[in-house]
Amino acid sequence: MSAAPAPPPALATRDLVAGYERDLPIVRGIDFSVRQGEFVVILGPNGAGKSTLVKAIAGLVPIHSGSTHLAGEDITLSPVQEKVRHGLAFVPQTENIFATLSIRENLQLAADILPRGRQAAQIDEVYSLFPDLASRRGARAGNLSGGQRQMLAVARALVVKPSVLILDEPSAGLSPKIVGEVFARLKALNGAGITIVLVEQNVKAALAVADRAVILVEGKLRHEGPAATLSSDPIVGELYLGARARQGENGR
Amino acid sequence: MNPQVLIDGLMAGALYGLGAIGVTLTYSILRFANFAHSELLTFGAYAALALSSALGALSAGLLEPIAPFSFGWALPLAGLVAVALTGLLALAVDAILFGRLRHRRSSIIVMVMASFGAALTLRSLIEFAFTSKPAYFTRELQIALPLGQGMRATPDQLLSLALAAILVIGVHLLLTRTAIGRSMRAVSENQALAGVVGVDVRRVIRVVWLLGAALACIAGIMSGLLVQLRPYMGFDLLLPLFAAAILGGIGSVPGAMLAGLIVGLAEAATVQLVGAEWRTAVAFVILVLVLLLRPQGLLGRAQA
Repeated sequence: MSAAPAPPPALATRDLVAGYERDLPIVRGIDFSVRQGEFVVILGPNGAGKSTLVKAIAGLVPIHSGSTHLAGEDITLSPVQEKVRHGLAFVPQTENIFATLSIRENLQLAADILPRGRQAAQIDEVYSLFPDLASRRGARAGNLSGGQRQMLAVARALVVKPSVLILDEPSAGLSPKIVGEVFARLKALNGAGITIVLVEQNVKAALAVADRAVILVEGKLRHEGPAATLSSDPIVGELYLGARARQGENGR
Repeated sequence: MNPQVLIDGLMAGALYGLGAIGVTLTYSILRFANFAHSELLTFGAYAALALSSALGALSAGLLEPIAPFSFGWALPLAGLVAVALTGLLALAVDAILFGRLRHRRSSIIVMVMASFGAALTLRSLIEFAFTSKPAYFTRELQIALPLGQGMRATPDQLLSLALAAILVIGVHLLLTRTAIGRSMRAVSENQALAGVVGVDVRRVIRVVWLLGAALACIAGIMSGLLVQLRPYMGFDLLLPLFAAAILGGIGSVPGAMLAGLIVGLAEAATVQLVGAEWRTAVAFVILVLVLLLRPQGLLGRAQA
């Protein structure tokens, strides 16, 4: 008797080449795969292509060649607004909420793609996860603090019950205490079964919550391993420092 | 000051407001000043004229005035079809011109220049088809009703005011209470994020064209009914429309209507107090003052 075939990865890229301009790819051939229920952090020095990789998966940066797959389904060509219907939720680094809309409207906007009968229940479910937002649902999102905005961005992504949640540097601009809260929240969501992919500059905090880390350097995947062992692995420092020495401090 | 200024100003202002709503919506979502918007007014008015004449030719009874108004059933029926045709025209211009430029990521100034070209083309085609001679929906004479305080208004004027009020409230509710309205506001704030959240941005753009064109068509018909139809009727409204859209705050529907009324009243007051030759300068002065003193407009949000 043969074993049941392994389920397809929750998220995968095959030889992905992407970038804003065709002759200047920033992501240069990445094979990357995330198992169902895994919490993966993408690390790397500035300009390594971390953000571009996740934006290309989300449909915000043109893909030149290669492919992206969600639970085995090829989503390379599906337009940005369709990816969320496939179960892929993306939280951009900046401007990730609608500041002129209220908290309720931000969540309702995300829920608008769901069948009408399920919208209210799923918004209520998200409110129960984020009581701070529930108590201020009529407030304009633009009036929230940095940490609350980040929570709202995550909450908005969760309204559609995504299978994979991708976050681009959610800790940017937040105090260490708030970063701890955001990451604890992500860990809890992962515990509830959501596959999470996190792009981070904050190596220590990210390795503390992730299962596995991949390190990008100059648009390529250079190293990967369990988060627990990577935090003491000298290669992490070498890849960061080596890249920094080669490109100076002017990379993006 | 003669209290009739109030009625004259409100009438002109309601027209400006309806046109300015279209300008403000396309500006906030497509991010360029569409100078061809006023030609949608002209097109809508002439389309309604051609259709109502055709309906009248089919059945003369449709031209019999509906008391107390000056027009027969042919006009409202033709108006509905004209609204649809104006919407189709806007979608066609977008497909042929603006959509292609967006796809190429053209700069704003290219879009604005293209809109000038589209305006010139549309205006010339209308002039070619209908000549530059003024035309009228109806030759009926209307007696203005006394409203008290020395003010008078014709039934057509009162109907137009009521229709404008209903439309503004309708559009405001559409934007604030419905899913498509939420999507429109989201796209106007952050197009990329709207896509990430699942909003079909191209569909929102189509809806904005249809909505703006419909309001422009109705404003054109109102203008044709209350004054007359001329190929330059839209062009002459261009400055007041943009003054109203910017004074109201780009993206704000109540702002556009409020500012339309302000521009209309300011013009009417200027005609009385200073002289009719200064009327067209009023919108320009208001535009300059807003841009200098409060660029975000009355109800607009300050740019972050």
